[in-house]
Amino acid sequence: MYSAEISRKNPGCFIFLLDQSASMEDPFGGSSERRKADELATIINKLIHNLSIRCAKGDSIYDYFHVAVIGYGQDTVVKSAFDGPLTGKDLIPISELANNPLRIEDRVKKQDDGNGGLVEQSVKFPLWFEAKHAGGTPMSSAFKMGAEMVQRWVAEHPKGFPPIVINITDGEATDGDPVPEAKALCSLGSDDGATLVFNIHLSSAAGNPIELPASDEGLPDKFAKQLFEMSSSLTPFMIGRAKELGMPAGDGARGFVFNAQPVQVIQFLDIGTRPANLR
Amino acid sequence: MIDALHPNGAAPFSVEAFSCQKAGNARTEYEDAWAIRGSDSPTRCRVAVADGATESSFSALWAALLVESFVRGRVHGPDFFGRLGAIRRLWRRKIRGRPLPWYAAEKARRGAYAAFVGASLNAVNRGWRAVAIGDCCLLHVTGNRELAKAFPLSHSEEFGSSPFLVGSMTKSDDDPLPHVRVSEGVLEPDDVLFFASDALSAWLLRRAEKGEPAWEAIGPEGIRTREDFEALVAQARDEGTRNDDMTLVRLMRRADREKGAS
Repeated sequence: MYSAEISRKNPGCFIFLLDQSASMEDPFGGSSERRKADELATIINKLIHNLSIRCAKGDSIYDYFHVAVIGYGQDTVVKSAFDGPLTGKDLIPISELANNPLRIEDRVKKQDDGNGGLVEQSVKFPLWFEAKHAGGTPMSSAFKMGAEMVQRWVAEHPKGFPPIVINITDGEATDGDPVPEAKALCSLGSDDGATLVFNIHLSSAAGNPIELPASDEGLPDKFAKQLFEMSSSLTPFMIGRAKELGMPAGDGARGFVFNAQPVQVIQFLDIGTRPANLR
Repeated sequence: MIDALHPNGAAPFSVEAFSCQKAGNARTEYEDAWAIRGSDSPTRCRVAVADGATESSFSALWAALLVESFVRGRVHGPDFFGRLGAIRRLWRRKIRGRPLPWYAAEKARRGAYAAFVGASLNAVNRGWRAVAIGDCCLLHVTGNRELAKAFPLSHSEEFGSSPFLVGSMTKSDDDPLPHVRVSEGVLEPDDVLFFASDALSAWLLRRAEKGEPAWEAIGPEGIRTREDFEALVAQARDEGTRNDDMTLVRLMRRADREKGAS
């Protein structure tokens, strides 16, 4: 299980669910300046950025993954969260996503000069998503829409690596209990295993980030515990990879983080030799 | 794909190379590299195999530059990895100026990576000295088809998907020297040295650990043609070996020269 090769011929599938409800306007992690919606936009842009670079090869990009991004909250509806040229699209190859950001900013990045110092270098930094916050939180409906996409995907890729659904939210669903919907989604899968659901919980509460816990002990509130319950256990490969990346994943670790930017989750799938010293 | 050398009768060593790209990929996407120099030299022969990492860009170029530089040079110890400056500059020069989309430029900025094993053989005393980083292996097999040494990894469970590899960029926290492994041995009559990329090495070691035929399968009695090698690769993949580029270089002492010398 969870051993199917991910390649251009047998691509993997990421479905992101973004909470864009009004409550996401609240402060993030006890901050007075940063809102949860800002944190969410930063995380999803970094995830897409890292995934694109991971799939880049030479002067092109390989479609190792197909990606959908579902927003829930704006006008209390659930729909594709893509804007600009991708508006209305659901699952698209990573190349289409990488080549169609909303905009590309020029940023200055400090880079190792090889002699123990840093040099400033201009880099292109694409953005696909802006911070959004309006309406209710139809998280259960988002999981339903995700399940429909998963069903279509596994019908077309019955032997492929099962889809991974990553939900980023503050946890306060307004359309009923999302746990049964998440469990229903996890019951779908390919011959290679059940769909994996990960949750990234962005809270207004201050507190230390929590990454990949094996139990809900120590989680700060009922929303965190609920999202933990909705999260899949990591596969043994993922636990190994998380450890290599310096994340505290033990036996039974689940795909759940609290107030953290787990951009390394993009590295949890194997697409070939990854140098240990490539950071 | 098979690539074979046909050394003349005076050559002390017979060296052959076989290679095969990942299933489903084009031949141009093959990212391993091998190089041989001096198989017909009366004094010295050098062989190297490198495996460019899937998860880095322009790694086939980097692997090729590493093996070419090694076999054309004279350094055979860890010093090879202390003098990567010229090879790194050449790698950067070859990709500089390309109009790359943002993701390709960012990936290239992070550098290319490769596993490497290289050996220098003394044609007079038949001694070999090898240097390696990562999981490409040298396998020294005796005339009675027993494994005398596997270097730098010796057991199949040591192979993972994230080895430390040689990078094409100079980074202060990425010094290859602490990761260099060295080894040496002497090639007795009928011994064979194999150089193999990681997936093939792991499969061969796994078979040997289970008591299944391994070394006969890649010896001259097992592989003569490109088709033989492709059949072996297909068997390895059928047995669950990761779909990867596969490379094998086989080096033997030449029997006719042994007889002539005696």
